[in-house]
Amino acid sequence: MNWMIAGPEIFYFAASLWFLLLTFTAQPKPAQNGGRRREYLTAIFLASLGILVCLASVHAQGWLFTRGFSVDFFSQVFKTLLSLGLFLIVCICGQINDIEDRRHNEFYFLLFTCTLALMLLVSADHLLSIYVSLELSSYSLYILVALRKKRGQGLEAGIKYFLIGSFASAVMLFGMALLYSSAGTAYLPEMAKVLPGMMASPAVVTGLLFTLGGFFFKLAVFPFHFWAPDTYQGASNQVAAYIATASKVAGIAIILRVVASAGQGSTYLVHVLVILSVVSMTLGNLAAMVQKDMKRLLAFSTVAHSGYVLIGILVLDAAGYSATIFYALALLAMKFTAFMVVVELTPDGRNLQIEELAGLHRRSPLMALALLVALFSLAGIPPTIGFTGKFLIFTAAIQKGYVALVIIAMVNVVISLYYYLLVIKAAYLLEPAEALPPLVVSFPKKLLAGLSIAVIVVAGFFPWWLIQIAQAAAQPLMLGR
Amino acid sequence: MIAPFRDILLLAATLFALGAFCAVVRRNLIMIVLGIEIMLNAAAIVFVGASLHLNNLDGQTFVLFILAVAATEVSVGLAIIVYAFRRTGSFDPRHFNLLR
Repeated sequence: MNWMIAGPEIFYFAASLWFLLLTFTAQPKPAQNGGRRREYLTAIFLASLGILVCLASVHAQGWLFTRGFSVDFFSQVFKTLLSLGLFLIVCICGQINDIEDRRHNEFYFLLFTCTLALMLLVSADHLLSIYVSLELSSYSLYILVALRKKRGQGLEAGIKYFLIGSFASAVMLFGMALLYSSAGTAYLPEMAKVLPGMMASPAVVTGLLFTLGGFFFKLAVFPFHFWAPDTYQGASNQVAAYIATASKVAGIAIILRVVASAGQGSTYLVHVLVILSVVSMTLGNLAAMVQKDMKRLLAFSTVAHSGYVLIGILVLDAAGYSATIFYALALLAMKFTAFMVVVELTPDGRNLQIEELAGLHRRSPLMALALLVALFSLAGIPPTIGFTGKFLIFTAAIQKGYVALVIIAMVNVVISLYYYLLVIKAAYLLEPAEALPPLVVSFPKKLLAGLSIAVIVVAGFFPWWLIQIAQAAAQPLMLGR
Repeated sequence: MIAPFRDILLLAATLFALGAFCAVVRRNLIMIVLGIEIMLNAAAIVFVGASLHLNNLDGQTFVLFILAVAATEVSVGLAIIVYAFRRTGSFDPRHFNLLR
C-alpha cells in the first residue's frame, strides 16, 4: 500500500493530534494575549503547511483501505480547496473573543479534525467511509457551534444543529441500507455498474433519495435547510464562516460523486432534484429579503446558492460537473470575503445587523469594497467569479434542454439582487445616526481583503485556467463509471 | 435463512417510521435523541438482513460501525443536552427560541 497518497489526511491528522496534546498540557491562562497569539500562529503555520502538502499531492492517484478511499484528481482538487478554506478561516480567527481563552486549543483541534473529515469525505468511495467521515465532520461542527460564549445563542444553535443533523444522518443511513440491499455492494464504482438498470425499483429510488438527504443537510438544500439560519446566527462568526465555506465545498463534492456514480439514467432522481433546486433557491431568496441580521441573510443566500449548485449536478454530464466544481471554488471565495467583512466589523464577536453597516465606506473603504465585490459576485454581476460560475452552470443546463429551469433560476438571480443591493446601500449610501470612528484594519487583514477582491475580479475576467482545472477534475467522475 | 428478506425490510421500515415519529412529535430533547437512535437501529437491521441475504460481509461491518458512531452521537448529544439543562432547567425544545 502506498501511504503517501493519503498525505493531506495524514498531515491534518497529525496537526489535530498536536492541538489535542496542547489541550491536555496547556494551563488555563487568564485572558492574556501571549498564549492566544501562540495558538493562533501555530494554527496559521500548520494550515499554510497543509496547503503545501495538498498542492504537493495534487496529482496523486490510487486506492487505500481496499478501495474504500480513492484518490484521483477530483478529490485532490477538492482537498486543496478545503485546505485553502481552513487556512482562510484560521486567518480571521486572530481575535476570536466569543470563545473562551482556555478553549482555543480545542477550537483549533476541532477545526482541523473537521477538515480532516471533510478531506476523507471527498475521497470516500464506499458507503461506510462516506458515513463515518460525514459523521466525524458533523460532530466536530456541533461542538464548534455550541462553544460560543454567549450562552443562550451558541447552545441553542448547537442543539438545533445537532438534532437536525443527526435526524438527517439517520435518514441517510437508512437510504444507504436500502441501496446496499438492492445493489448487493457498497462500493460506489460497482454500484454505478448495477444501479442504472434498477432505477424502476422503488427501493433504489427511495434509497438514493434518502442517502442524498444526508448530503443535502450538509449543503442546506430545501427539506434539510432549517438549521442554516439559526446555526449561522448562533455560532460565532468564524465558525459560521467555516460552515459556509469548507463544509459546503465538501458537501458539493460528495453529492457530485454519489450522483455521478449512482444516479445515471434515473428520470425520477432528476425530477426530484429539479424540484428541490427550484424550491431551495426560491425559498432562500424570498426569506433572505426580510432578514435584519447579516449572518441570517448570508445563511438564506447559501440555501439559494445550493439551489443553483443542484442545477449543475442534475445535468448529469461533464459540462455540468465541471461547472459545479468551478462554482464550489467561486462559493469559497465569495462567501469567505463576505464573512471576513462581518468578522472585521465585529471585533467583540457580536452578531452584525445590516443597519450597523451604515457609513462603512467612510470607516473603511477597503472593507466596503470587499463587501461590494463579494455581494456582487454572489448576485452574479458580470466581471466577477460568481457570474462566470452561474454562466457555466446555466449554459450546461440549457445545452441539456432545461430551459424552464434556467429561466426560473434567472428570475431568482434578479430577486436575490434586491437584498444584496439593500446591504450595499446600507454600506455605501446610508449614514450612521452618530458618527462612528474609522475602522482600524491591520495590515495582514488589508492584504487578505485585497487578495480576495483580486481573486474574485481577476477570476471573473480570466477564468480559463480555473475552468481547465475544473474540467480536468470532472474527468475522473466520467471515466470508469 | 429463516425469515424472508421482505419481512425484514417491513420490520425495519416500521421501526424507522416509529423512530422518525418519535423524533418529530415528542417535546423532550432526550426522547428526540432516543427516536433518532431507533432510526439508526432500523438501518442496522436492514444491513444485517441484507448481509445475510446477499452473503456479503460489508453489511455486518457497517453495523459494527453504526454501533460505535451511535455511541459517539449519544455522548456528543447528551453533553450538549446536559449543558442545556443546566442553563435552562428544562428539556423542552420550546424553551430554545432566542434565534429568529
